[in-house]
Amino acid sequence: MQLEEIVHALRKAFPTASIEPRRVPLDEAFVALPADCILAAVKLLIERFDIYHLSTITGQDTGREIELLYHFWAGGGLTLRISLPREGARLASVTGLVPGAAFYEREVREMLGVAFDGLADQRPFLLPDDWDGGHPLLAHRPEEVAE
Amino acid sequence: MTKMVIPIGPQHPLLKEPLFFQLTVTGERIFDSTLRIGYVYRGIERLAQERSYVQNLHLLERVCGICSHIHTTVYCQGVEALLELEVPPRGLYLRTLLCELERIHSHLLWMGVLAENVGFTTIFMYAWRDREIVLDIMEELSGGRVAHAVNVVGGVRIDVGEEQAASIMERLDQLQGKVEDLLDVVQHERTFRARTQGVGKMSLEQVRRHCVVGPVARAAGLDVDLRRDAPYAAYGRLALRVVTAQDGDVWACTWVRMQEALESLRLCRQLLLELPEGPLAVKAARRVPAGQVVSRAEAPRGELLYYIRSDGSDRPARIKIRTPTLPVLSALPEQLRGVHTADVPAVLSGVDLCIACADR
Repeated sequence: MQLEEIVHALRKAFPTASIEPRRVPLDEAFVALPADCILAAVKLLIERFDIYHLSTITGQDTGREIELLYHFWAGGGLTLRISLPREGARLASVTGLVPGAAFYEREVREMLGVAFDGLADQRPFLLPDDWDGGHPLLAHRPEEVAE
Repeated sequence: MTKMVIPIGPQHPLLKEPLFFQLTVTGERIFDSTLRIGYVYRGIERLAQERSYVQNLHLLERVCGICSHIHTTVYCQGVEALLELEVPPRGLYLRTLLCELERIHSHLLWMGVLAENVGFTTIFMYAWRDREIVLDIMEELSGGRVAHAVNVVGGVRIDVGEEQAASIMERLDQLQGKVEDLLDVVQHERTFRARTQGVGKMSLEQVRRHCVVGPVARAAGLDVDLRRDAPYAAYGRLALRVVTAQDGDVWACTWVRMQEALESLRLCRQLLLELPEGPLAVKAARRVPAGQVVSRAEAPRGELLYYIRSDGSDRPARIKIRTPTLPVLSALPEQLRGVHTADVPAVLSGVDLCIACADR
């Protein structure tokens, strides 16, 4: 289908959304969205296109910002990209719409320190209960952090 | 009725890997459960950022001790996409052959574990005995029973001669008979059916809510298989039958996996028969152009996803791994609700957890 149709619908619903300009190998479409649109975008995917399969959420620290990638599967890969500031990163939880996202949000939370509003389970996920070594996936070496 | 809390794990005879369960029971039924993973967290995603693309082959193969080959397959096809490499057909066929051998090995191992956990030790012994055939084939091909180191960026490092292919075919035929026998026994053994049928049901709706993948999703009636839906490696050239069931219980999982093992045996034979001539691999540059890629494949337990981002150097800037066990674990507390405590081992082994994969 329908991947083109979905990307078109996302652009129509969120005029500030942008399609990544680069060549996308392995048929994966990347759509960048403003952070406050994530809930509405996931809702649109579920209600209009019956796309319920969130493969995972990748969190990464690019040195300038925290990037969250919501990898959906819709007969082809569809990734929604959200950028958050490195300090005080905060985002709405999608667990109300996709209960299976709880594990992925918990992982992003402890690995990168992103707070999810509405995430019910705030227990540690992979790290020990008494972990005090910070967030392991944050860029912590000088060469990794952008000036 | 009074509620009682029973802890299971992190170390427990029922579990093959460390995992912590807290079951709240009322009488003999599970009322609620919580689980905790992370006991074999090794920080592989972070480690992968510290290593070169070549070194990562060895690291990522060790994410899982059962489906090691599929991890390097997904990783390699991602890096190959970034490098814009085209793997020669013979390389793709051999890569796929190992994927299918691994699926047979994983499903037979699982059959043994389930049989042991429901008290059917004979089938456990038979399944693991028969699994030796496929392990021997993999060892002969690659030198390793579990870690095969077959994939390289750009292709594979092993080849199969004509005589060897014929000998492998012969043993696959032999294995086919044995898998059919196993299926015949479990299908007609009333005790086994009683221990698995209607036990630990997962509905299609639960599968969708928790984004469950693989044989567990197919057992509940979800017709997904990336080998058919997004053909990678040589799957585009193979006619694949996707096996599904309706009930979502442990029996449906058994049926789907055993049918899949038979289907994989057929695919292995087709791959060996149609093995194209030509080189095995192309040379890959050590530095990978900047870019990002999402690579997916159907592991024995379902969709395996790698996200790889390159910044143009010889080390990846980020590798994210999502293994198929995670969504299954997410759905497990719901699946366990109302289950008889004596059936917990059957349900836990029925979904085929791989904790080392989930923790990474």
